[in-house]
Amino acid sequence: MLLCGCNLHPAAKRSGLLVAAIASDPGHLNPAITTNGGVHTASDLLYNGLVGLNSKAEPVPELAERWEVEEGGAVYRFHLRPNVRWHDGRPFTSADVKYTFDEVLLRFHARARASLSPALSAVETPDAMTVVFRFKRPYAPFLQQLDVVEAPILPKHLFEGTDPLKNPVNLAPVGTGPFRFVAYAPGAEIRYRVNPDYFGPKPELSDLVLRVIPDRGTQVMALEAGEVDWLFGVPGPLRSTLRRNPSIRFLQTSLSPGGSDCITTLAFNLDRPSLSDARVRRAIAHGLDRRLFLERVTFGEGRAAETSISSMIAFAHANDLKAPAYDPGEARRLMAAAEKGRIKLGFTFFPTDAEYGNLLRAQLAEVGIDVELHALEAPVLVQAVFVQRDFDIALIPYCNGTDPEIGVRRMFVSSSIAPVPFSNAAGYRSAEMDSLFEKAASSLDPKERGRIYHRIQELALEDLPYLPLIETENTRAYSARCEGFVSSSHFAAAARCGP
Amino acid sequence: MRHSILVSDIGELPTSIQAPVSGQGTFDPWRTRAGALGLFLTLGTLGLGVLAPWLAPADAAAISGPALSPPSLAHPMGTDAIGRDLLSGVLLGGRTSLAVATAVVSLALVIGLSIGLLSGFFGGFTDHVLMRVTELFQVLPRFFFAVVAVAVLGPGLDRIVLVLALTSWPVLARVVRAETKSLRHRDFVRAAEACGATPARIIVSELLPNVLPGALVMASLLAGQILLIEASLGFIGLADPSVVSWGTLAGQAQELLRVAWWMPLFPGLAISGASLGFNLFGDALSSHLGGR
Amino acid sequence: MRGLREFVALRRRRTLRTVSARYLAARLLQIVPSCAAVVVVAFLLIQLAPGDPVLALAGEHGDPAYYAFMRQRFGLDQPLPRQLATYCIRVASLDFGVSYVQGRPAAEMIAERVPATLVLTTTALLLSLLVAIPLGILAGRRPHGAADFAVSALTVAFQSTPSFLLAHLAILGLALGLGLFPVQGMTTAGSPGSGLKHFVDIAYHLILPALVLASQEVAVLARLTRTGLVSELDSDHVRTARAKGLVERVVLWRHAMPQVLLSLVTVIGARAGHLLAGAAVVEIVFGWPGLGRLMLTGLQTRDTPVLLGVFFVISLAVIFANLLTDLLYAALDPRVRYR
Repeated sequence: MLLCGCNLHPAAKRSGLLVAAIASDPGHLNPAITTNGGVHTASDLLYNGLVGLNSKAEPVPELAERWEVEEGGAVYRFHLRPNVRWHDGRPFTSADVKYTFDEVLLRFHARARASLSPALSAVETPDAMTVVFRFKRPYAPFLQQLDVVEAPILPKHLFEGTDPLKNPVNLAPVGTGPFRFVAYAPGAEIRYRVNPDYFGPKPELSDLVLRVIPDRGTQVMALEAGEVDWLFGVPGPLRSTLRRNPSIRFLQTSLSPGGSDCITTLAFNLDRPSLSDARVRRAIAHGLDRRLFLERVTFGEGRAAETSISSMIAFAHANDLKAPAYDPGEARRLMAAAEKGRIKLGFTFFPTDAEYGNLLRAQLAEVGIDVELHALEAPVLVQAVFVQRDFDIALIPYCNGTDPEIGVRRMFVSSSIAPVPFSNAAGYRSAEMDSLFEKAASSLDPKERGRIYHRIQELALEDLPYLPLIETENTRAYSARCEGFVSSSHFAAAARCGP
Repeated sequence: MRHSILVSDIGELPTSIQAPVSGQGTFDPWRTRAGALGLFLTLGTLGLGVLAPWLAPADAAAISGPALSPPSLAHPMGTDAIGRDLLSGVLLGGRTSLAVATAVVSLALVIGLSIGLLSGFFGGFTDHVLMRVTELFQVLPRFFFAVVAVAVLGPGLDRIVLVLALTSWPVLARVVRAETKSLRHRDFVRAAEACGATPARIIVSELLPNVLPGALVMASLLAGQILLIEASLGFIGLADPSVVSWGTLAGQAQELLRVAWWMPLFPGLAISGASLGFNLFGDALSSHLGGR
Repeated sequence: MRGLREFVALRRRRTLRTVSARYLAARLLQIVPSCAAVVVVAFLLIQLAPGDPVLALAGEHGDPAYYAFMRQRFGLDQPLPRQLATYCIRVASLDFGVSYVQGRPAAEMIAERVPATLVLTTTALLLSLLVAIPLGILAGRRPHGAADFAVSALTVAFQSTPSFLLAHLAILGLALGLGLFPVQGMTTAGSPGSGLKHFVDIAYHLILPALVLASQEVAVLARLTRTGLVSELDSDHVRTARAKGLVERVVLWRHAMPQVLLSLVTVIGARAGHLLAGAAVVEIVFGWPGLGRLMLTGLQTRDTPVLLGVFFVISLAVIFANLLTDLLYAALDPRVRYR
């Protein structure tokens, strides 16, 4: 073993190979049937949307070369890029787009199903290179919902007539993206090779490996040992250790695995007697120090949130509005006014958010609320919160996307009180709120929409069905031998790795 | 009569029972000192567990200092990422972990003693049936059974205790049965029978006191194992987050080993210390009994 | 306490004439109720779970079509005894259901992971024997000496340390600190490889996790070797051998150790459950793609068919390890051959 020791060590890698660590086995590689972060991380590189989003979240051509918006925003006409081929050599056409929307996205992709299916009336294909989307009413945010995260396009010739959830192609995917699938070693790694026929700028990497390493401490040590070149996240306290290492670089991004511009939010179950009292909700808001959450839970990653629309959505975010400030005295006064005595509430969260739970429990104990913690794995939490509505307060990372219509609407409108993941968890009903969102969606003037969203945020802070805590940001860490990363889900498409 | 004992469960027994050390009954300084250390550690951890609410300087769930501060006078074991006092966590968490271990061991003792005594005393068909049942429970893999039970039934200390107890009693039952069998036809049992004592009376007042020491040896070793299993369950995230325990403290702090060494270290040491205590105590007890 | 010793001695001297066909058949037959017990326990667990048993059997995913499929496959709309029968038949034919997450049979996903766990556990077992026997001899030849004390202290310390802590310390010190071993994984990333190079690559990645896993076994096996040796060296036949003037090395290996090694064999089977549980933790820390990792994934995605499948396969492994031990013991026991 020592004889060949020189090239045996896994840190001695050939240039052109990028190894990225992922925390869990994705299980399958079809991004159109799920909004699961793990699946998207591992499969978005293989696929494309009709449009991409640049660093300012503006739509740029991807599978569609150009587009027109007609009839005041009720019709979108896309002209597809010619000569795009699937990884198996078959040509990409408008039939693939229509099939993917009608048969897959609108049925299985949670966000597309929630926001598009009520608004979209038909997908038409006048010819092989043109797709037309017809809406029931003007629909402003559509171009923001067509990237590979929100609407990846699948090959019709491999999916038609099958159950998309059980198609074997999900484990040996064929896309149009910058990387091709090579092999999937379950539990160990997924291997990709660069797509030499890619229509976009050709990646300079030759190979990409996504390595499954569940233990986050081990991930960081693997990066330092040079066995891995890219981490999608670093546990807070370990970031300071890595920052001292000259061969590690960082990239800050507001893109989370499940979507972009997420706000970690407390959802109050308004069906619960104690929480239906606005004074109790306000007391909780005053009892929590969001700066302390930022300092001790995320270790400075992200910003303290003030409203339910992310500050990254500049046209819609209200700069002048503030969430209730930390004021335990006021919180205790409100609790006294509510005349409920010391109350007991459950707090439901994903196991990865355990520190949120610990800090919330400690702070609310000070204002007379005893919190019982329930760490639930993702599928169980979704079932408990959105289907059975069996929770008091839940911690939900609501991802805004690049337009409030994508990720904020579903939190507030009464029509999305439904057993759908990441819908209106609070069970909040307000006729005024419903009509505000209707107006905001059908207006095409950003100024006008901004004014409506301002009122929406104001109303949300008055009624307080949700308390926004932290606008999350993520820290990617990578080896200095590589460069050229971007924060989109095609993070490695333009990357280079030296020896 | 057919012996239903399988060779394969010898591994569960303390080594000193399997092959008694030579010259027992003579003075053995190493065993004695290790035993004293074991006794000290066992009594010490149990004592700290009982007294924890009075000894802990702070509420284990409350924020009582700066985040991630290394051990200092104010916080002898440092603080965690959100500023909770770790010494309080270790003291109060130990209460939980030791309570789990005690509950498991007590349940296992009750079941193991009952089955073992009945089986050994009555023999024959009763023995045959009870030993078949014991074998069935013996093959259940303890750790994986606990994982599946928590996954299906949801987290909670009650089900962890139940599962661990259900998978721990068979070894106890086998040891007690064998001991009972060997005592069954001794003079004092026959004398009691001749005086017309009922089987219940013989079992309780003649046999139980004699098999109890051996069972206690097993129980002590079992307690050490249970602490480690509880820690592993905490590590893979199956513990109840509302309840502080050594398992959650040590398991959840693993990724911070390099930036906040005190966070995984002190709970880890507590687990090791207590488990060491139970192991040494059990060993010493068994060689002491062996020397009688 | 005398009973205890008799109990053990009895088992050591079990009256096996040979490994007769009758014994073999009887022992094999014992597997059936053991396996059945495992399945019944899992079935009861599913029935005990709050709410609809299909939620416990299939995981809480909220897809009605999938629930209907699993309900039909496992006969959940039938009366309880029928359900139990259906469930037993399904599991007996290694049909654990279909993973909701991957849409594949759970058995298939489990089969993919068995080799990695097998490699890790067998290597750890061999390593632990390799280390434990010399340590045990070192300690046992001069009981209460300095070596005995050192070995006892070392093994008791290893036995009392949580394995995840040991694993992290090993990575930090030996892999990251000294650069002796890779930090994680089973192969070098991106090298599918085959042949000798692949083998060497796996071996290189295997050493550290196997060492960590072995350390817990070393503790038990070394202590067992030690106590076994001490009692053998004190026994009549060893004294006779010594009296005949045999060299100490011959006394040790010809007369004392065979019986000690035999007792080790008996322990290995009984420790299969411990070993596999330890492997699960080690796999998670080292990113080793085995059954323990699959269990964690199954847990996190509430992929209950996979989770229960892993439970069945591990139980089966324990049952077979016990069987193997008993047969091996029967075959090896010299007293059986002398008769």
